[in-house]
Amino acid sequence: MSPLRITRIYLRMLGTHLRGSLEYEWDFWLMVFAAVLTQLVSVVFLRVVFTLIPDLDGWTFWPIVIMFGLISFGEGIGSLFFEGMWRLAYRINQGELDYMLVRPYPLALQVTSAEIGLNGLGNITSGGAMIVLGLCRAPIHWSPGLVLVAPLLFVSAMTIKVSISVTTNAASFWIQGPNPLFAMAVHQGGELTRYPLTLFPIALRSVFCLVVPFAFVGFFPAEFVTGGHALWIGLATPAVAAYCVLVARFAFRRGVLRYESTGS
Amino acid sequence: MRRIPVNHPANPVSVRGRETTTDKGSSSMALIEAEDLTKSFRQADKDPGLAGSLRHLVRRRYQEKLAVDHISLRVGAGEAVAYVGPNGAGKSTTVKLLSGILVPTSGQVRIDGLVPHENRMAVAQRIGVLFGQRTQLWWDLTVADSLSTLRDVYGVDPAVHRRRLARFDEVLGLGEILPVVGRKLSLGQRVRADLAAALLHAPPVVYLDEPTIGLDVGVKDRVRAFLRSLADEGTTVMLTSHDLQDIEDVCHRLVIIDGGRIIFDGSMAALKDEFAKERLLRLETVEPLDPQALRPLLPLTEVRQGEHPREVLIRFDRFKVTAAQVVAATGTLAEITDFRVDEPQIEDVIRRVYTGELLLGSGAARG
Amino acid sequence: MTWNPRPYLALARATARSAVVFRLQFALSLFSVLFQLVAMLAVWHALLSHKPLTGFTWPKMEVYLLVTFTAGAVVSNFSDFRISYKIRNGQVALDLVKPLDYQRARLAETVGGLGGELLSVLLVWAVGLAFGVRLDLPALRYLALFAVSLVLLVLLKFTLTYLTGLLCFWTKNYLGIYWARLAIVSLLSGALVPLSLLPHWLGETAQWLPFAGMTSTPGLLLIGNATGGQAYRLVAVQLVWAVLLWSAARLAWRGAMRQVTIQGG
Repeated sequence: MSPLRITRIYLRMLGTHLRGSLEYEWDFWLMVFAAVLTQLVSVVFLRVVFTLIPDLDGWTFWPIVIMFGLISFGEGIGSLFFEGMWRLAYRINQGELDYMLVRPYPLALQVTSAEIGLNGLGNITSGGAMIVLGLCRAPIHWSPGLVLVAPLLFVSAMTIKVSISVTTNAASFWIQGPNPLFAMAVHQGGELTRYPLTLFPIALRSVFCLVVPFAFVGFFPAEFVTGGHALWIGLATPAVAAYCVLVARFAFRRGVLRYESTGS
Repeated sequence: MRRIPVNHPANPVSVRGRETTTDKGSSSMALIEAEDLTKSFRQADKDPGLAGSLRHLVRRRYQEKLAVDHISLRVGAGEAVAYVGPNGAGKSTTVKLLSGILVPTSGQVRIDGLVPHENRMAVAQRIGVLFGQRTQLWWDLTVADSLSTLRDVYGVDPAVHRRRLARFDEVLGLGEILPVVGRKLSLGQRVRADLAAALLHAPPVVYLDEPTIGLDVGVKDRVRAFLRSLADEGTTVMLTSHDLQDIEDVCHRLVIIDGGRIIFDGSMAALKDEFAKERLLRLETVEPLDPQALRPLLPLTEVRQGEHPREVLIRFDRFKVTAAQVVAATGTLAEITDFRVDEPQIEDVIRRVYTGELLLGSGAARG
Repeated sequence: MTWNPRPYLALARATARSAVVFRLQFALSLFSVLFQLVAMLAVWHALLSHKPLTGFTWPKMEVYLLVTFTAGAVVSNFSDFRISYKIRNGQVALDLVKPLDYQRARLAETVGGLGGELLSVLLVWAVGLAFGVRLDLPALRYLALFAVSLVLLVLLKFTLTYLTGLLCFWTKNYLGIYWARLAIVSLLSGALVPLSLLPHWLGETAQWLPFAGMTSTPGLLLIGNATGGQAYRLVAVQLVWAVLLWSAARLAWRGAMRQVTIQGG
């Protein structure tokens, strides 16, 4: 199957849930409200922190806003286009993957496109706003090179975020239960990476760089763009993204081999 | 609607000495091949109660549950196979193994020469699946939209799709349910739509797992007729059902599974002939006839009173006694006004296999 | 009004058992709170290394953050999602038929889960103390108030969780409610930033809201930042809110019964 065809069918399958989602208008606005509220709380927190101290380990307000924005934007993309992965645990538990396994379309993509999280629009807008505002207000030395590389880094960051979600949700093939608690726990852990990595002890830093590369979702790309010291590491983001995609693919495939369905 | 089965060059064409025959003549290409197929599930072995759970924390014990136990099966192109067994026998598990949904614990399975879980996409184009208890339609879409989306996924040409839908309309009355939204379908409508969904890419192999469950008689007849026509056109059909009438109407070959093992694999007719030696003769007489009087005349039979005093039922082994002999013997005692011979039903035969009354031995072609 | 405690005890036991059976899920639901603790420790360490903030030294902050962890660990995700899961799946019908008070039954279940949660809390405290967290206990009467405050914390958290769970009768989307509640509570309970360090107008108002009793009040009591009349006032506010929310939940329940649309199925 050509990538174009895969994408076209993907968008089509995503779209089939649009009607269903829009039916519950209250729920949609509630989710958007909750997402924006969460962003607001983090901004309030940041503001408070920066009224108390001039900088957080070398990071000033706007660069951190960029980092927060990157992470939120990634969340939003994940919710909008790949929300289905969070229901994988439930589907495995209920044996609902059967029909998907006999269709000529990649299983992982069928799973992720099975839900559309319109609340992601809330995160995308607030995250996007934070990135844009941050890029404008932060003291960045813009150069043609930077203008070209920055989008690449940001796209890679999104890819890493989604890959981590796929890999951790694939754990549901091994851990029983209708809720993707492992994935949720890792996701919560990832929330730590909203804050400058250098705040954390070396052990934690290595985990977020090498084990679950959340550091490459917000910190290193933001570092690179705002002219921080760990310049060269930021450039590794696309490579890390490729690696994460491979790991996700591997984990998912191994997981599918363990699928047991329900009934006899 | 017939699609030419794909010839896989690496697949050696061979026929093992098997009694299976189809009306189209012996098929030499095995489309579905299973060899020593085994699937076991691991279940936690826990004592009940809080104490049991805590104990399990410390010392884990697991039980292996063997769902499918070394089954071997070869189904050729164009065969219509019924796959029958009591609850929990492993029917659905087998279908899932044959379609790549489950990965075997040991043994081999090949569909058209391909291993399902290693060649998912390729095998998906070659098989169609219907699980009677689940739908693959989208909840919020009309049937037409669901089928259209699937058409896209399978890569079916739109014109061909339209023609197939017209055919489905003819045979299943699909047209009337096309505009209905998934969640508003009645059970009968849903099964018909799911059938169309399973067949819209004209796969050479079709698995139907309980397709008529919960349907009313009219819809059942339509579905059976449709499946019959599919089989006649050369599609390989594998049908599991609790409704033994489904099987009798549609299939020519019968595989019985119990406790994960195949206990019978042969032609339906052969099974009937071999084991359903019985006939039941209902005789109506002018005057009431006492069965006691008849019994000494027909020693190899079982004589019973019918629903009223003038009806008598005689059950006999037709290889030992002929109907003519029974009628003649009865005629010496009373004048016969009407008679009826009841043929054996496959239902009865299979029921007796389940209950252990009938033990299948060397007579049957083993699976 | 006399009521038989036995069925409630049975429910509590059943929940305790399910926490053991689903121990992995149970543990994972506590991990998220643990990560939050680690993050806050790191951030506040950096913050307080610059200069001490009014009323908060680093040793005090460590203890305060441990209380935050405690508040987050009790009535954890495990209980939370279980309360709403039944409503979301329309299984509430089965519970309605039982001759039990629905609210008290959910409380019993929560208490059942409390055993495991408290064990992990004690574990984390033990690790903290072993790693050098300095715990200067306040005077005995404030320690007693702290204990009372903890009990009220559990009650408050339960009623709030229960109330938001009831919203499932009106909306299918529990996650949205959950996140919104999480966001509001994390800010206004003093879990992210001690209330006294928030902008003046925000901190002052937050003191009188029910959320303060969900981290700030017990935290301040333990580190000795709340003394004298203020200490008693804070606990009194907690108590009042506990009663108010409990009654509000009863009213909401009646409203929900009128609205019964058994979802799912």
